[in-house]
Amino acid sequence: MASSNALNPGGIGGSVASGEGKRRVKIIRAPSLSLRELWQSVRALVEYRDLFYTLSAHRIKVRYKQSRLGFAWAIVQPFALMLIYTLIFSIVTRMPSEGTPYAVFAYAALLPWTSFSNALTSGTNSLVSHSHLVTKVYFPREILPATYVVASLFDLAVGSSVLALMMLYYKIVPTVLILWAVPIITVMTVFTLGVTLILSALQVYFRDIGMAMPLLMQLWLFASPVVYPLSAVPAWLYPVYVLNPMVGVTENFRRVILQGMAPDLRALAVAAIVSAVLLPASYILFKRLEATLADVV
Amino acid sequence: MIDLRFDRVSKRYRIRHEDSAPTRNPLKRVLKRLRAHTEDFWAVRDVSFEVRRGEALGIIGHNGAGKSTILKLLSNITTPTSGEIMINGRLAALIEVGSGFHPELTGRENIFLSGSILGMKRHEIEAKLDQIVDFAGVNEFLDTPVKRYSSGMYLRLGFAIAAHLDADVLLLDEVLAVGDANFQSKCLQRVRELRESGKTIVFISHDLGAVERLCDRALLMERGRLIAEGSPDEVIREYQRKTADLAALTGRKSDVTSGAEIVSISFHNEKGDSVSSLQTGDALIVKVRYRVHREPVESSVEVFFYTPEGELASQLFTSKNVFAERSEGCVEFYCPELGLSPGIYLIDTTIDKDWKFRCASFRVDPGKRFRGRFYMPHTWRFVEEMEEATNERIFARS
Repeated sequence: MASSNALNPGGIGGSVASGEGKRRVKIIRAPSLSLRELWQSVRALVEYRDLFYTLSAHRIKVRYKQSRLGFAWAIVQPFALMLIYTLIFSIVTRMPSEGTPYAVFAYAALLPWTSFSNALTSGTNSLVSHSHLVTKVYFPREILPATYVVASLFDLAVGSSVLALMMLYYKIVPTVLILWAVPIITVMTVFTLGVTLILSALQVYFRDIGMAMPLLMQLWLFASPVVYPLSAVPAWLYPVYVLNPMVGVTENFRRVILQGMAPDLRALAVAAIVSAVLLPASYILFKRLEATLADVV
Repeated sequence: MIDLRFDRVSKRYRIRHEDSAPTRNPLKRVLKRLRAHTEDFWAVRDVSFEVRRGEALGIIGHNGAGKSTILKLLSNITTPTSGEIMINGRLAALIEVGSGFHPELTGRENIFLSGSILGMKRHEIEAKLDQIVDFAGVNEFLDTPVKRYSSGMYLRLGFAIAAHLDADVLLLDEVLAVGDANFQSKCLQRVRELRESGKTIVFISHDLGAVERLCDRALLMERGRLIAEGSPDEVIREYQRKTADLAALTGRKSDVTSGAEIVSISFHNEKGDSVSSLQTGDALIVKVRYRVHREPVESSVEVFFYTPEGELASQLFTSKNVFAERSEGCVEFYCPELGLSPGIYLIDTTIDKDWKFRCASFRVDPGKRFRGRFYMPHTWRFVEEMEEATNERIFARS
């Protein structure tokens, strides 16, 4: 099927010689849920990796290009939230913070939380907000929501520098347990990607999702141990409570970095399993919806 | 060697209909929205064709005939409802240039962004950066945000990126209509180069002249179906005939009693031969025969030239004339130089209250070279210095 490219010397006017000697045959047909097609999608994704890098970098650059504070916004957002929650939960009412100063206690969990929340909120809207591209050029659509996840990880890295400063200020020395942060953030990324993919595709068909987003994020925040410790959750609620993957992420992120405590393995395991199942499932659904995306958006 | 194959491809769109009767009750409104029924619309129905390697295929048809859907299917923006599309090699679409641009980013950053959206690899873009920038002529503005670009620069950069894609199969929309005259000819030149280098091209256009010049073969689409296939001039002739048929179908009989009626309309060249097409710049004679039933009738005789999109391109008309007796007659319009741009025109003609709606079609082929909307008949000469001086005096006096 694929033929040699010898007759066709890759373009004119001194253009580079075509790297691939062989042409790839592409078949487009009605969408179906076959493994082969899924494999093809993954291969296409690899083909488009340069677009993924470029768009991710673009996402980060553009976000801060026109704002005066620039990259500082990655810090301002969780920091301001931290100040507000500190004001409410350590001055107005007393929230247990397991021995660490409340400000740094809240900030340590707000970091992964804002990263997750920003990725989800902007990623969900990504296909709709790029309708001008989606209806005119083809590229694997999952790249769009995924770049928002990358950008939010970048925010997380920038915000972490402030966490380091705060820990320095409060003279908190991290232990070797901090290495747990790597699998925790990995789980969070996989989970974020899974949720963002599915919601971004559904948002095209039901704009209600975008409308419900702020409310959902508010509820989700209070259903996760961000402004309070996991230990404040009553024991009888724990088995249900822990099903929320963000429990395993926020609580454990704080524990291993700030408190030098071993992570709650059960919560982390739940988060890992949920994420590992969710991502492929939502990718399959995304690919199914992608086929008619441009007709609807 | 087949580079592209459509195998019984169909595409269905679902159009949602909401009951239009307005209601105040918000609950009813929500219910109505949930109950909205859908209607099927087949934008492309059972279409099969093949394109050989190195061939340039043109697809023509009216708006809504399914041309753009074919383009979207080919570029994989949307998927077929049934059937199969085979593409051998890398495909690039030169449609809606500049759509991937971000206004805040510089020209250089946008070249990388847009290029990668179109499927280019980073190293490919780097290798072609100079060529692209030269082609677009934006060298000095490479590090300026594109929001500061003029619209012409914007379009030129967009086309330049797309035109330097290293693809095997190229999709062309009406992209050649961008930019100023100079740039347009550059674009056409580039497309010709690409053709000569053996690229397979699919060209979708309203510009019949361009299809005839660029393509080896053409397809004619009508209401989602492929109805003709063959050499461009054959297919264009068929399109013209169909257009006239369509006009006859939709043509309505005037129900108001008119004092006079149009009997026939015909087009002639300078020699007086009856023709159905002429070239831009040719002399055109339009003969309109009429019959007066009831005298006296005071009316002008008018001939309208409409584009297939329904836009009035031009009009010929006599001054108001009093027809004092029952008679038959003929009006002859003489246009020394036809100014209409190439394309198909649908004709209306009228006398008194008789209005013949889309009663004929007339094709204009590329003739005199011109750019813009229409050809302006003109002559030119270089003037002697002496003469110029007198002219200046004349201008000064007036």
